[in-house]
Amino acid sequence: MSRSTFNRRRFLGTAAMSSAVLASPAYLRRAHAAGGEVNIWTYNDFVPKAFKEQFESETGIKVNVRLVDDQGKQFNLLAAEAPNPTVDIMTVAGHRFLQFIDSELLAPLDTSRLSNWGNINPTFSESDWATINGNKWGAPILSGMEVLSYNTELVSAEEAQTWDTLFSEKYSGQTAYIIQDMMSIVMLMKGYDGNMVAYMDDPDKAAAIVEEAKQFLIEKKPMVRKYYDSGAEVQQMFVNQDIALGHSWNGPAAALINDGFPLAMSIPQEGSYGFVYTYNIANNAPNVDNAYTFLNAILASPEIGASMTKASGFISTYKDASNYLTDLEKASTSFPEEQLANLQFFRAEANEMKYGLVDPAVEAIKAA
Amino acid sequence: MSLKAGAANSPGTHEASRRTFWGRLINWTPYRLLMGIVTASPRRQFLILAAFPVLWLLTQHLGPMLQMLRVSLTDAYPVAPGVEQHFTFDNYARFFGDRIFWQPFFRTLIFASVLTFCTLILTYPVAYFLACHVSRKNQMLMLLLLLIPFWVGEIVRTYAIMILLGNTGAVNLVLKWFGLIDRPIPFMYTSFSMGIGIVYLTALYMLLPLYSALEKLPKSYNEAAADLGAGAWTRFRRVTMPLTLEGVSSGCILVFLISTGFYATPVLLGGPSTTVFAETIAGFFHVAGDEWPTGAAFATIMFVTAMLLTGIFQRLMYAMRKGDTK
Repeated sequence: MSRSTFNRRRFLGTAAMSSAVLASPAYLRRAHAAGGEVNIWTYNDFVPKAFKEQFESETGIKVNVRLVDDQGKQFNLLAAEAPNPTVDIMTVAGHRFLQFIDSELLAPLDTSRLSNWGNINPTFSESDWATINGNKWGAPILSGMEVLSYNTELVSAEEAQTWDTLFSEKYSGQTAYIIQDMMSIVMLMKGYDGNMVAYMDDPDKAAAIVEEAKQFLIEKKPMVRKYYDSGAEVQQMFVNQDIALGHSWNGPAAALINDGFPLAMSIPQEGSYGFVYTYNIANNAPNVDNAYTFLNAILASPEIGASMTKASGFISTYKDASNYLTDLEKASTSFPEEQLANLQFFRAEANEMKYGLVDPAVEAIKAA
Repeated sequence: MSLKAGAANSPGTHEASRRTFWGRLINWTPYRLLMGIVTASPRRQFLILAAFPVLWLLTQHLGPMLQMLRVSLTDAYPVAPGVEQHFTFDNYARFFGDRIFWQPFFRTLIFASVLTFCTLILTYPVAYFLACHVSRKNQMLMLLLLLIPFWVGEIVRTYAIMILLGNTGAVNLVLKWFGLIDRPIPFMYTSFSMGIGIVYLTALYMLLPLYSALEKLPKSYNEAAADLGAGAWTRFRRVTMPLTLEGVSSGCILVFLISTGFYATPVLLGGPSTTVFAETIAGFFHVAGDEWPTGAAFATIMFVTAMLLTGIFQRLMYAMRKGDTK
């Protein structure tokens, strides 16, 4: 996700956060001055620049970041390089763990090598999805969710309380969404389990539900302005006023709000899904020791978590990270309790069946 | 020849050439022996000269295509641990067995054909003006000006179109300023914006062959036709057009082939109803799982189809040229 604007407030915020990180306890001195390099595949803004510079100067380990924008592409890249990948750390969403683990692409995380593991909020580090086959597979860093984002000058907060507004005649031609994500949400809108875990024993019902969601999106196709793929695209569409509202991840929307754009987001009453990004160590990673040094360093303080939130817009999983956010940043990364009650996390158990049905449906919607 | 003559006439020059690097190299015995072996026969000379181009063609052009073909005939790629790869035609059968994929496929071919025609219509007058009405001195300057947008990449030029056509873009602002519209016209994310983008990106590939063909056309032909009483339209139809068909053919083939493969521009400028086949193919490579073989098969199908259509088009153009020369 790339940033679309850079204003004075953001500059001051970044400068202040850089100073805070630089003035923070010398956590990095504890890291062994190992030298060498660590190769990371991650999303834009997930490795704070000030942290990266300090880490490199303190440890002598060069941090090579390759940007990714899609979990599927990341999987394919890694699968193509296996069993001798060039990457040490990837950024896998918690609900995609199983696929990577089944393909032997991830190494179990040895949390005993991470003295700062306790700095992660247990809500994320100890949740049921975080432990598979008795192992931890990733260090949670940022949390996101599927939200309804809307231009506050064009759409009212009341209208944004339901996903129906996204498909209303009133906003025809002024909406955008990611089809694959929208399939899960449409299932939820229609009262089904978008994770499809409830239908694991009934594939026919699962197929019928996906078909219903597909037909719904095909029927509504003339009303959508754009099917998009990346956060940068939806940001651009909002800024250019090509759309009035759309489905998005909270990160790109929060980044626009922090830039002063008249945007707000909601978790509609029908519900939505949340996900957690984690840093993971690749199976057979070439620089494992450096990868653990990096992970331990990035988990060292809530200031780093806050700087990741400031840059990406996603919510930090670190304890007390919100103490280092401005009021506007706090507002853009928090939701009312009644809306949070509508949120559930993506689950991976039925992924093989779910995406076996959803992926062809997505192609059918695009082609229709 | 002149060097030899010069050298023979002037011993001083010969001595000077021996002192330079090339002079020393030419007179170096191992080099002389090597050159003797290399140029011993025309056949050997040909083989040595052909080695690098053939190697380049095989590794850089045909190699990836053959690898794509190989992947398209397997049931798993990349091969996951514990999985055995098998030979199969299923990936090709999937295309022919599922109508879902036909729509973006035919849409791509239709878009590419229409946009090729539009590019031809738009660029022919530009090429004609440049070749026939601009002085030799200024032609290079004009060509340089036309080349300027091509100094930056496809993505940057696509974003330039977005800036131009967006709701808050230059076109809408001008229309609003003149009072022609109250609300912005939604140009973006439509067939129109995608078409504008592709024509803009491919125009030069049409322009250069046309310019080259028109530039070779002797002015005297049109003058003779005029003397015989042919009007402007007749002169264009009977003289200019037939004699530049080769340029038209080259330009159309280039633009058509490039248009069938565009990915980023349709993604950025297109809308929900403009999905092209490149997006469908890319979908198989993005989706996590064993979908690469299907993507490779679909890419091969598009490649073969584009080649077939291009071949038919070339035959037609050849027949037209032949007909005109009779």
